[in-house]
Amino acid sequence: MSASVANTRQRTAMSIRRLLGNGTLIVAAIYALLFVIFALRQADALSRNSIVDLFNNALPLALAAAGGTLVVLTRGFDLSVAGVVALSNVLMATVVGDGPAGALEGLAMVTGIGLLVGAVNGVLVAYVRLQSIASTLATMIVTSGLALLVLDAPGGNVPDFVADTLTDVVAGGIPVAAVIALAVVLAWLVLRRTDWGVALYAVGADETAAGLAGIPTRRVMFLAYCLAGVFYALSGYMLSALTATGNPNAGNSYLLLTFAAIAIGGTSFSGGRGDVVGAMLGAATLTLLQKVLFSAGVSSFYTGIFQGIVMILAVLVAALSDRIASGRRA
Amino acid sequence: MSAARVAMAQPPLTLDVAGVAKSYGATIALQRVTFDLRRGEVHALLGENGAGKSTLVKILSGIVRPDSGSVRLAGQPFEPHSLLAARAAGVSTAFQELSLLPNLSVATNLTLPRQRKGPVGLGSRRLNEAKAAELLAECDATDIDPGALVADLSLAEKQRVEIVRAVSQRPRLLILDEPTAALAEPEWLFRIVERLAATGVGVLYISHRLAEVRRLCLRGTVLRNGESIATVDLADAQDTDIFRMMVGRGAEEATQRTRGTQQRAAEAPALMLKDLRGAGVEGVSLDLHRGEIVGVAALEGQGQRDLFRILGGAAPAESGVIAVQAKPVRFADPRHALHAGIGFVPEERKTEGIFLGMTTASNISLPILGRLLRLGLIDGRRERAEVREAARGVDLPDRYIGMRISALSGGNQQKALIARVLLSGARILVLFDPTRGVDVGTKEVIYGVIRQFATGGGSVLLYSTELSELVQLAHRCLVMYRGRIVGEATGEGLTEQRLVSLASGHGRAA
Repeated sequence: MSASVANTRQRTAMSIRRLLGNGTLIVAAIYALLFVIFALRQADALSRNSIVDLFNNALPLALAAAGGTLVVLTRGFDLSVAGVVALSNVLMATVVGDGPAGALEGLAMVTGIGLLVGAVNGVLVAYVRLQSIASTLATMIVTSGLALLVLDAPGGNVPDFVADTLTDVVAGGIPVAAVIALAVVLAWLVLRRTDWGVALYAVGADETAAGLAGIPTRRVMFLAYCLAGVFYALSGYMLSALTATGNPNAGNSYLLLTFAAIAIGGTSFSGGRGDVVGAMLGAATLTLLQKVLFSAGVSSFYTGIFQGIVMILAVLVAALSDRIASGRRA
Repeated sequence: MSAARVAMAQPPLTLDVAGVAKSYGATIALQRVTFDLRRGEVHALLGENGAGKSTLVKILSGIVRPDSGSVRLAGQPFEPHSLLAARAAGVSTAFQELSLLPNLSVATNLTLPRQRKGPVGLGSRRLNEAKAAELLAECDATDIDPGALVADLSLAEKQRVEIVRAVSQRPRLLILDEPTAALAEPEWLFRIVERLAATGVGVLYISHRLAEVRRLCLRGTVLRNGESIATVDLADAQDTDIFRMMVGRGAEEATQRTRGTQQRAAEAPALMLKDLRGAGVEGVSLDLHRGEIVGVAALEGQGQRDLFRILGGAAPAESGVIAVQAKPVRFADPRHALHAGIGFVPEERKTEGIFLGMTTASNISLPILGRLLRLGLIDGRRERAEVREAARGVDLPDRYIGMRISALSGGNQQKALIARVLLSGARILVLFDPTRGVDVGTKEVIYGVIRQFATGGGSVLLYSTELSELVQLAHRCLVMYRGRIVGEATGEGLTEQRLVSLASGHGRAA
């Protein structure tokens, strides 16, 4: 009798915890708050151009954070994001032809490179069993170096077709960037419900136990790094569309912001907890924050300080709500 | 060959292990193991820590491969190269160090590695939970919610899920490694084992509890130093015979109770609790004197874990008083408890107790590093000397000291943990089930350490899932029920029956 009472109480506590501990909800709330501030400060915040801009500016970082999350879920770190973004960007600005054919060719090329880098990371981490930070730092250095070989200083030109079409709107006002973001979210919702998606969380929580449960842990990790590489390449591709130019150092600022977005999105760096959608919202939050500060007339030199503070806040809120939720007495 | 076996009157063999050996580098884990297990038989595997039981389990589960020898499963050569291959061949294992994933639901854990798929080929939570509910119901474990996160379950519930998962593979051979270590009511498991055995499943049952083994098994194989010493008919073997085979020496009946002579002088209690409250603890008062061993008995989940964690500084107290030597103390973290002289040995040693990546020596010397400093650096020679001394106190062989603690068997890890607590200079030991999953030999060592500690003027608060242990060791025993102390048994009244009736909430008046 008392057991069933305890059981119901436990169940309620559990559902509360799930809700409060859901980092995606927390970051969505933070984003909504920022957006209200933005809308109050900036008269044209709700205009179509402003909204399109919001999506365009946030998408590259959101893609990078989505990829990074896959690796972080397995309790790994992938620093190669900086190199892959830069390499994709300079290639798009130098060797790709114009028109839809050129755009597709470029897409195939950069995703192929992303996949290759991801596969190298995956082999080194999952099969050779090297530390993920060390291996991906090495591939980051190599790919950053390659980017400098392709283009030694900012310059080059991203084909107009890519720069215009991918930053435009379709179907009477929906930003292309929003369509892409939605596609990624849907793809994630599908992946999450595959055996591989569940295995990501299992491997991140306890690799040994995951192995004992019959999960092919190495293959799961390998695929996570491969897919992450593809996401970084897409990030570089969309960054090229946004900036319309090449910059061999384009990835540098991405490295830390990617991890910040992942953390803000409620993904735990100790693995096994978090969500890709949260990370994408985290990226959007960081981008929106820049705009809010700009609209408030704050010098861009202060951006970093505020981004850091928001990150601490997000992580703090997540930790606090988790603690409240897991405390058995309300 | 198989024809000859069929001709015999015995039921066919489910498992036939012949001369299996395995070494890791220079360490020989298994020298030569030979035994067989018949269809529908529950076969016990007995042995001390480090006798090679875990290695044998790993070989049969497909996690490691033997260096030599042969294993046949139902007459066919059995050489699985992975856990999945072993499972496909019909062997499934409930592991002692539970292999569940805390961040996933019970249902997901039960259906790993392949989720039940909905119509579009995607994992369906509803179908998963329905399947899990079905599996739980088959094992009579309907009180466990398939949708619950494993992290939210008690240790006993986790152990049951682990067992349900192994059973759900519909194995030909089920391996249960210390399955009752965390179960307060093992009858549940006995029913499952008997049901499976009746349908022809072979069960390899590994337990340190001889009473359980006798209840379930007709035959048992004794391992010692990686060798199978003998397969015995348990009905014909005395406990002392089995014990002798396991340890290779005569079993001394050193279980004399030394109670009744402790002096409860007018001095202040070493540890005094007054109306202590916290999560799960609803007002506990007790006195623990110098030289006293006080037992705590309770059914699973009556707040005993929370009480011990509060005393160890691992969980906060909400109100009430904790006084050490009549001095009120408050613990914000385990360091404070240690500082106040309370040495806490927690329940889950793998996650709360030891540092798997470090050597045994470093694990033992952690709390006293401050004492070992010379010019701000650790004096290595003194560290080694102190550690060796402490290790000797708990009968931990010298050769383990330099090894990584992860390479040690569970019992030896526990010894190291106790050595660490003793070395810290604690005057009060708070031990939560210190002999869980530990073999008879190690148990005796731990009992000896506890007694000696109390004789030397220390105080011990001891919780154990094994009531016989409390009856044997404690001077008096408190019983917890729903977060409160509901009774006390002392002197002649300290019997298992009395503890059971108090623990289940009856017999308050008796």
